[in-house]
Amino acid sequence: MKVAVVGASGYTGGELLRILLGHPEVEVTQATSDAMAGKPVSRAHPNLRKATSLVFSPRSALRPADATMLATPHGGSLPLVPGLLEVGGIVVDLSADYRLKDPALYREYYRFDHPNPELLAESVLGLPELHREKIRTARLIAVPGCIATAATLAIHPLAKSGTIDPKRVVVDAKSGSSASGQDPGRAGSHAERSGVMRAYAPTGHRHTAEIEQETGTHVALSCHAVEAVRGVLTTVHAFSARPVDEKELWRTYRAAYGNEPFVRLVHEADGIHREPEPKILAGTNYCDLGFAVDPHAERIVALAAIDNLGKGAAGNAVQCLNVRAGFPETAGLGFLGLHPV
Amino acid sequence: MTECPECAASVENSDKVLGEVFPCRDCGTELEVAATEPFSVQPAPREAEDWGE
Repeated sequence: MKVAVVGASGYTGGELLRILLGHPEVEVTQATSDAMAGKPVSRAHPNLRKATSLVFSPRSALRPADATMLATPHGGSLPLVPGLLEVGGIVVDLSADYRLKDPALYREYYRFDHPNPELLAESVLGLPELHREKIRTARLIAVPGCIATAATLAIHPLAKSGTIDPKRVVVDAKSGSSASGQDPGRAGSHAERSGVMRAYAPTGHRHTAEIEQETGTHVALSCHAVEAVRGVLTTVHAFSARPVDEKELWRTYRAAYGNEPFVRLVHEADGIHREPEPKILAGTNYCDLGFAVDPHAERIVALAAIDNLGKGAAGNAVQCLNVRAGFPETAGLGFLGLHPV
Repeated sequence: MTECPECAASVENSDKVLGEVFPCRDCGTELEVAATEPFSVQPAPREAEDWGE
């Protein structure tokens, strides 16, 4: 399968290239970047030295491919997608531009009126654990955001099974610096970021809309920047009107994800890695899910850890491509992570 | 076949003997064979740890 990556000089684009260059069924035919046009891909992504001789091309030189993966900034995919769909081929969009079904939410969360609302109805959210069958035939796959991915995977089984009160779900998210991209502005400078524990969005984070759309819950989301390059950890606080024990949570999550290749249940009785932890997931496509019951507060705690560039973006996008193309779902995604790291 | 008393994962007998201690494959709880016929398990006694001190 011939695949082109648009916006390939960013962190997500680089992660896409890293995975796709090792994919047994994929040939990367083009990597576009207006900012780095004419320069070798390894100039932006030094880990890819000797892995490819690709040179960045300008977006205007984009050629048709079997699949085009858009690692564009939010807003960057809006004008591109209609033309790509017209040419044919699969479009996998990693931006936020086609994730939300309700056009009004783009005005509320992104401050623009969506120019192609008919495509919002057609696009399929790229989360195979929830939408695998629709992804198999989708023309346009919209990969969810990193925090939304982790929180949705943690909440969805609890909401679907009726275990929790859907009107009262709190999500506390911590994320590493690469989640804000290559150009995060002054907030991402070393002086500001080193040692950081900053609440950058105590309320109003954009991923709230995605989580609510996918789980049918009313979500209170707070987001924090922490001292890490990769990784997202979401801690979900949910409440039930009836007593719930951990055995029930095991059964609920096992029923939802027991056969999923990239979701692992982690709630162990012993050892130093008892609950999910993003650190060991760097470079992988895993989402580790954990949980606990707090009888004192009548609270259910659900934890989800991912690599924001992996299951939170590029890894998940390739998983969607595998599903769509009929490849083994794990193709190109076999990296198990590093420990210690 | 029985289930883990902590997480309800299936636990197979597979020639385990009375008193044998083994970890649950899902939650890692150390389980002790309490009876072989019928097969049953219970959490094995363990030392408390000072997590959070």
